[in-house]
Amino acid sequence: MVDIIRKQVIPGDVIVTGDYRPGSFVQRRGNDMVALRVGLAEVAQNGVKVIPLSGAYMPRAEDMVVGKVVNVTGYGWEADINSCFVGYLPGQFVFGRDFSPATHDLMTRFRVGDLLLAKIEAFDRTKDPQLSIRGPGLGKIPQGEIVRISPMKVPRLIGRKGYMINMIADLTACNVKVGQNGMIVVDGTPEGTEKAVAAINLVQEGAHMADLTARVQRLLGAPVTPEPAAEGDSGE
Amino acid sequence: MPKSFVVETIKRNQIVDALAKGKRLDGRGVNEYRKLEIKTHVIQKANGSAMVTLGDTQVLAGVKIDKGVPFPDTPDKGLLIVGAEVLPMAASYLEAGPPDESAIELARVVDRGVRESEMIDVSSLVIKEGKWVYSVFVDVNILNVDGNLFDATSYAVVAALLTAKMPRFVLDGDTVKDTGERLPLPVRKVPVSVTMATINGTLVLDPTEEEEAVMDARITLDTEDEGHICAGQKGEPGSFTPEQVLTAAEWSIAKGREIRQKIKEATAGG
Repeated sequence: MVDIIRKQVIPGDVIVTGDYRPGSFVQRRGNDMVALRVGLAEVAQNGVKVIPLSGAYMPRAEDMVVGKVVNVTGYGWEADINSCFVGYLPGQFVFGRDFSPATHDLMTRFRVGDLLLAKIEAFDRTKDPQLSIRGPGLGKIPQGEIVRISPMKVPRLIGRKGYMINMIADLTACNVKVGQNGMIVVDGTPEGTEKAVAAINLVQEGAHMADLTARVQRLLGAPVTPEPAAEGDSGE
Repeated sequence: MPKSFVVETIKRNQIVDALAKGKRLDGRGVNEYRKLEIKTHVIQKANGSAMVTLGDTQVLAGVKIDKGVPFPDTPDKGLLIVGAEVLPMAASYLEAGPPDESAIELARVVDRGVRESEMIDVSSLVIKEGKWVYSVFVDVNILNVDGNLFDATSYAVVAALLTAKMPRFVLDGDTVKDTGERLPLPVRKVPVSVTMATINGTLVLDPTEEEEAVMDARITLDTEDEGHICAGQKGEPGSFTPEQVLTAAEWSIAKGREIRQKIKEATAGG
């Protein structure tokens, strides 16, 4: 196992000097690797990256997001995806290629206020991110409890290969839909939902803690078993 | 992005279902306020100021008192003007620009409560009738929006006025000069605004932003020290039943009494 050096950084901090590959939120300035965000810097053998402690959601293609329909236009829906960009779901992605605003009524599918589990189809910063609901499990979310966490803590909530989120879902018998944008919808019995929401909030508050998995297991009243991988993995 | 708050359909159903059982999502009863905090003397250079936090709603009010020229139709009265502005940072959907109609309504409703309760004795704010009067400007900035801006703004304005010190002006030939003395404003009463909303036929006090997005109608009633209703405003397209209006009046008097006490405690000592 490669030694990883971790340290807390603020923007402008020189994390390390030398020939490294700048990863996320790191910029090379001369021979210095400089942090661009407040967070935890990780220096591995070849690369340097910063895991931000906070921040807004920046859409990426293939991300799963939970969006709230905020506007119905003539040709599609606009959804708030907890970002400075508004997600756009075109009518033809829902009605098919023969979609026509004259023959199809968009209001029959989604109305303002409806929640969608969607995938970011394309995004290049020149246009608003395009959403798609083609795929298993995607589409309107009919019911559940809405929880918002920092988008930067979503990888911790998901855990390595979904370990954490699957554990929460199994132990509370809830269906948990997690958007990379920090919007989560929990659906289950009232007691299960309450427990799952508490567990999600615990992850949000203790994302930096090493024994987070054990804490969540204790909260949910399950036997404490170690996560089958090193703690602190990004899960991405 | 939308110009106003959009509540999720799921949340809307939850609010309505909970209210049908007499509960609210934040655990309050239908006639309970959120936590109210009033801080005064928060702006050093203002004549008076107050910061009010009602739940997550946060409002800052400042009072500026200067000499001014009276309006032609009220030459024997000082000026009292309340203005409100919702800062773009107060909520994600807000944008910079001139106040929209809801901000104008907010300023007018709060102004009306202060004016119609005759809180400030404006007839004693005259330096020379028809020529020089005191002008009292209360400027309100909404720092964070989480519903019930009417009440939070009203409390901030009232608390700022109660702690304001006005300069004493005297006539000096055709002009006026500042004597350097500082006096409290001629306060007669303490108006308290109480806002209620009806959601699917249930009357709730102090609606949150989510509840405001679901409400059918809104009513704001101002009471003064003796418990008389002195101003009111009904908003949104829905309606109230006569029984609901009577309940609203009772609540505004009872809650008004409690909150008046809080405002007085927070502003005690000027």
